[in-house]
Amino acid sequence: MTALATTVNVMHHAFRAGLADYRAIFTWKSWLAGWMVRVIAQVAFFALLGERIGDDQKTFYLLVGNSILVAALTGVFSLNMTTAERWAGTLPLLVASPSSPIIVFSARGSYLAVDGALSALAALFIAGPMFGMDLPWPRVVAVVPLTALVALASYCFGTFLAGIVFRFRSINSLVVLTTHVSLMAACGVNVPLSYYPDALEWFSRVLPVTNGLLAIRGVLDGADPATILGDAALEAVVAVGWMTLALASFNQLASRGRRDGSLDYGA
Amino acid sequence: MGTPAVEIEELSRVFEPRKKPPVVALDDVSLAIPPGEIHGLLGPNGAGKTTLVKILSTVLLPTSGRARVLGHDVVDETKAVRPLLGIVFGGERGLYWRLTGRQNLAYWGALYKLSARETKARTQQLIERVGLAERADERVETYSRGMKQRLHLARGLVGDATVLFLDEPTTGMDPLAAREFRTLIAELRDEGRTILLATHDMVEAETVCDRVTLIDRGKVVATESPRTLGQVISRFQRIDVEGVDAAVLGEIRALTGVSGVTEADGGARIEVDEEGATRVVLGRLVDAGATSVKTSLPSLEEVYVQLIDDRGLEL
Amino acid sequence: MRAFVAGFGLELRIVRAAPDALIPLVTAPVFALIFLSIVRESGRPDLQADALMAPVLMTLWWIALQNAGNMITGDRWQALLEPLLATPASLASVLLGRIVALTCLGLVSFLEVWAIGELVYGVSIPFEHPVALGLTLLVTALATAGVSVAFAAVFVLTRNAYTFTNSLSYPLYLLGGVLVPVAILPGWIQPVSSVIFMSWSADLLRASLKPSPIDDLWQRLGMVVLLGAISFLIGRALLFHVMQRMRAKGELAAA
Repeated sequence: MTALATTVNVMHHAFRAGLADYRAIFTWKSWLAGWMVRVIAQVAFFALLGERIGDDQKTFYLLVGNSILVAALTGVFSLNMTTAERWAGTLPLLVASPSSPIIVFSARGSYLAVDGALSALAALFIAGPMFGMDLPWPRVVAVVPLTALVALASYCFGTFLAGIVFRFRSINSLVVLTTHVSLMAACGVNVPLSYYPDALEWFSRVLPVTNGLLAIRGVLDGADPATILGDAALEAVVAVGWMTLALASFNQLASRGRRDGSLDYGA
Repeated sequence: MGTPAVEIEELSRVFEPRKKPPVVALDDVSLAIPPGEIHGLLGPNGAGKTTLVKILSTVLLPTSGRARVLGHDVVDETKAVRPLLGIVFGGERGLYWRLTGRQNLAYWGALYKLSARETKARTQQLIERVGLAERADERVETYSRGMKQRLHLARGLVGDATVLFLDEPTTGMDPLAAREFRTLIAELRDEGRTILLATHDMVEAETVCDRVTLIDRGKVVATESPRTLGQVISRFQRIDVEGVDAAVLGEIRALTGVSGVTEADGGARIEVDEEGATRVVLGRLVDAGATSVKTSLPSLEEVYVQLIDDRGLEL
Repeated sequence: MRAFVAGFGLELRIVRAAPDALIPLVTAPVFALIFLSIVRESGRPDLQADALMAPVLMTLWWIALQNAGNMITGDRWQALLEPLLATPASLASVLLGRIVALTCLGLVSFLEVWAIGELVYGVSIPFEHPVALGLTLLVTALATAGVSVAFAAVFVLTRNAYTFTNSLSYPLYLLGGVLVPVAILPGWIQPVSSVIFMSWSADLLRASLKPSPIDDLWQRLGMVVLLGAISFLIGRALLFHVMQRMRAKGELAAA
């Protein structure tokens, strides 16, 4: 097989293994009755605050922001993968195999990006009409690829964090949850970027979600295509940036593990 | 002899835990294993077996020295080494519990760069070989310990490894399962694979290995044929006895082949280090009217002590 | 009662060794900032007190749910469930003690949101009815634990604590009127909300920060206690049933 075909095969199988793992937790029924209900409730929770404030525009702002945030929440769950890997004791076997751990890892968790994008879109398209929001057809179709981009960028970010956090397994869930609320707080999900202090605004721009969400709001508000594409491009750059850092952190992890013996498979 | 399958030269590994004194896990180990050999690595827990296996599997770097697998350096030439290796360790970890046995194998098959078709065929073949055909499509979490271990072995074989590292693969297996496992290991050797078997079980080492290296506290004590090892084991025996008086014990102490007698609350332990002496001692004890006599093999640690003391005599 | 105290003490010691259970205390102040920034940005400073109380209730529920879900399963994996059941103590009481320990610690979130509000936005909590406020917080911590025992039993029964703990957060915040009063929800949901203890707690908390007198304080507090107690009793019965079933099937020890 050519190198490319081999890599594709590795990614394919890793993706399927990840998916099988996920489907052991969620059936279609529990995904819909558990996860989707929670997601819609989360979006409604914030949208209702808009209603309480008594401003439709604020309601829609919160609704869109929190729907798209769902894509990020799911993507960041990639952090849990490394804990699972550590618990399973498979990491040294992975490092000892002829495949690159980062390729395997990123493919294994990529179902999370797919799941995130689907969840976010479902949230938007279910909660939107529930709150009487107008989703302008056919422009709204552009939201689909943009949401996928946000999910992907968040997934890359989560994978980067996974490489960092791996050495401190006990803080894994802490990092997942603080990352969730930090993205919720800092990415223009609930208040416009202009409300933040300048420094935070800049920081917010290198996080996933922020730029992609701006593009999505642009689509829904009828902004001009150039602005939308500019924001989307920024989100893509952010995604590539985090993935590059993820790559570095995993290589570092593997070589450090070889040096200090932290690649453990003992009981 | 051509290129050894595994060649280890003056390999050392020191761990430096924070705020604790450094630990020497491997101390100047040298060893060569020719292709097609089942080589036992025998030592008590903490002897450095796993450290050695880890270094050879490319997941741990040595502090000094070198190791090669089929001529490729395990530190620098990982790309060449990794496709040649199969790694199997005992216990329950190292598998994805929520996936089925077949899904686990297919996943690792892909990681070992098999094509989709090869993966499918190899997976099926291995499932049958290790006797998991009936349960292959059930999740690993439903498997018994023995089944998990057989799946481990199949996983190690999925890349068609030329060199296999087995680290305590029969830990916790029942005796029957362990015996089947050992038959399988012999078959693998007959297919031309080289196998390094780390174990703390002397009987296991004696029954399946072509040669055995004894390792203790990170140092190689000796490399022997299992026949020699078997002699050592059968030569050294100990006899626990109750109900004989001190005079009889004194008499036994004087017999040739008795290396020691220690008395302890009402009974005594007699140690024998010469073939045939056991029979004589037992006869004498029965004549003296001993109420309870029990013989047992020495522990691994005791054999080491003997070996270290005796080295250079006849081993 | 002894079992309760033993559970309470045990959990305090566990938390001291491994404070994972208290992770929601880390996120509570961030939630407070998020809610505060929304109402301030929208020019509704009158909603600031509500915005501060929501993270407190969220934290209590989150801590209780997350840990109740894992307590029995965790004990089972560590081979602690069998010896625990073999004691004369009531499993439900031990669990209640353990979760009450956590919800009491969860009340620290009140101090956190108070501090973060002052520090970042200079917003203080208007202590209009301090006694009612204190009683409401205390009673809510107890009721949350009671309800969690019921959920712990359900988790064991369905063997899927993971899905449940993740799914029961926001739906309850919504139906419990944690951030926005239940009154704003569609009419058909309101009967559902009225049997959720959290909706009574949330309304009381908000009322205790407003200058107007609180109507029917004692009845409303009683309602929180009653709903918590009923849930606990249901949970105790369920647990008994589940444990009987596991005993029959020999599932008390992990494979």
